[in-house]
Amino acid sequence: MDDYANIWLHRAKWAYLLLVVTTLMTPVFYVMYISFNENGFGAAEYVFTTRWYGLIFADAQLMNALRWTMSLAAVTTVLTIPMALLAAKFYKATRAKVPVVFLLLAPLFVAPDILSAALLVFFKNLNFTFRWLGDQLGVSFMDGWAQLGFTTSVIGLIIYTIPYAFVVILITMGRYNKEQTEAARACGATGWRAFWDIEFPQIRPGVFSACAFTVILCFNEYTRTSLLKGGFDTFTTVLVSQMLNSGMSEQSYAMSSFVSFVAIALIGGIIVFTLLRSEAAARRAQPVAEPGTRSTAAA
Amino acid sequence: MNAIHPTVQVRQLSKNYGSVQALKNVDLSIAAGEYFVLLGPSGGGKTTLLRTIGGFHKPSSGQVWLNGQEVSHLPPDKRPTAMVFQAYALFPHMSVLGNVGYGLSLAKLPKAEVRDKSIAMLEMVGLKGYEDRRPHELSGGQQQRVQLARALVLDRNILLLDEPLAALDAQLRKDMCLELKHLQEKVGITFIHVTHNQEEAMTVADRIALIANGELVEQGAARDIYRTPERRFTASFVGENNLLSGTVASVEGDTVTVQVCGQPLSVDRRDLPVSTGATVALSIRSELVEMVPEDGSASSADGLSLAGTYTESVYLGLTLSHRVALSDGTQIVSRVVGESDAPPPVAGSAARVRWKPGALRLHIN
Ligand SMILES: Nc1ncnc2c1ncn2[C@@H]1O[C@H](COP(=O)(O)OP(=O)(O)O)[C@@H](O)[C@H]1O
Ligand SMILES: [Mg+2]
Repeated sequence: MDDYANIWLHRAKWAYLLLVVTTLMTPVFYVMYISFNENGFGAAEYVFTTRWYGLIFADAQLMNALRWTMSLAAVTTVLTIPMALLAAKFYKATRAKVPVVFLLLAPLFVAPDILSAALLVFFKNLNFTFRWLGDQLGVSFMDGWAQLGFTTSVIGLIIYTIPYAFVVILITMGRYNKEQTEAARACGATGWRAFWDIEFPQIRPGVFSACAFTVILCFNEYTRTSLLKGGFDTFTTVLVSQMLNSGMSEQSYAMSSFVSFVAIALIGGIIVFTLLRSEAAARRAQPVAEPGTRSTAAA
Repeated sequence: MNAIHPTVQVRQLSKNYGSVQALKNVDLSIAAGEYFVLLGPSGGGKTTLLRTIGGFHKPSSGQVWLNGQEVSHLPPDKRPTAMVFQAYALFPHMSVLGNVGYGLSLAKLPKAEVRDKSIAMLEMVGLKGYEDRRPHELSGGQQQRVQLARALVLDRNILLLDEPLAALDAQLRKDMCLELKHLQEKVGITFIHVTHNQEEAMTVADRIALIANGELVEQGAARDIYRTPERRFTASFVGENNLLSGTVASVEGDTVTVQVCGQPLSVDRRDLPVSTGATVALSIRSELVEMVPEDGSASSADGLSLAGTYTESVYLGLTLSHRVALSDGTQIVSRVVGESDAPPPVAGSAARVRWKPGALRLHIN
């Protein structure tokens, strides 16, 4: 805002922004509100409790689902981030930018249920092929390769998360000046050392954000996981099947809120961390930025 | 160091970017301890040549020899070169000391030694006391000094500089030019400095090579390039030369007579293969041209002057440039030092430009 701008216009913009966000988030906040009510949804009386959360954590089936969710999120993140990083490096280096971007963002253009159904059919056929091949060769070790399960879910989640991770990393990389890598090479660094010592520290915030993003996407994901998971259950698949079978219970409210809390905490954590860092950097910059006492002919 | 080999030798070097031929069969040889400048218009291929020497890309054909070894296949970190970039090449997440010491810590020198050497080098470039600053807390000139320290501390015997002063303002550039020259004399290693600025080149260079259109046009001592350019392009790019074109009227021994705008000029042949009727170029530095009013005394046959029409004078403080137009519209500039209280001639009046024997130079294409 500059000194001559209309203060009311400025306030109106803020009010608008807050209104939009509140409208979007109100249902979520409402669910969170109910999840702490002893009497549940629609009750005349509100009594604060954490009992419903206690029930979740006492439920062995749910805890098992949560463990699966977290394992999926962890493995997907560990695999997606290096792949996205490599893709972003390749994008910066290649002259054929449009095809690279198209290929990497393609999963975003396909509806999640279509993509996962396609993967499902693909894995089924692959599984059939492996079994047939095994039979022909008289071996059985390939039988499980394309069976629905953890691996197929992870593959589905990688396809889902890689465009986001790619874009987030690419944005931070955009600010990096590649002459720094050349300068490091001229100082005697190998390509890998130059990346690790010089480029990576500068794109680290982007890589961390991409990690957090990937974790949240995996945590919240239902469609792909439910179709590709095979035998086990994740937190969201349990939640959805509960809602479909027996409607929303007090426990479902607590579970929904829990998933939202995790996401908000992660994103909030990143924002606070980033703000603190940039503030600290600004504070560090100030005292020394004063002109030096010695000759400033060079300044 | 092996004294037989030149420190840097480039043989028949070519570099193509797709269909763009950035370098065409360049041969170059640079001796140990030389301050060598690659000068030329932008887009000429200077950076490409420097970066090929530094190993930042492979030549399309030809070879690079450094210290008597063929290095064309080696990456930058395996070459005996250090490099200073135009700007923004400092590591922003490291302190000044961290930047300067980076190469030494890669070489696994003990921490204390890295620190001592880096501080000594910072002192040498005039940045003592700036160790703990971040690059963004330094001025442009200071950042370039840090780059110099970071490169020199590596103790390599060839330093490559790509337009190191281009991002600085004019006054600072002049000061730092001299500093670079003195620094090079002090450390005694080979400097290869790329610039498109001829004043910068003249200030620092022992030798200059002119690069244009991917070709090495001409090379020689800075003074010779300025005073006795061989090629027409050199004359047009270095100094302030008047360029004329004319037809050879006669060749007698070492003297060639060239017709320019219907007036005969005599010029030294310099062993060039010229024949009567050929179209040639002539050049003469503006400070060697004197303008006099045309008094009709008909001295035109001396072959050392041209008649034309005075158009205007431009006052530049230190010098004053008079412009005289020839009959075909070619402008001749006569540049004189010092103030003159005499009123300038009337625009449009007849004037004559003249010079001493030997001032005019002949170029063939
Ligand atoms: N990476 C590149 N890809 C394509 N063309 C390039 C590249 N680098 C330089 N060129 C071209 O090569 C020629 C020489 O460029 P350069 O060496 O940068 O010249 P200079 O440093 O003299 O200004 C120019 O025509 C330029 O456009
Ligand atoms: Mg250049």
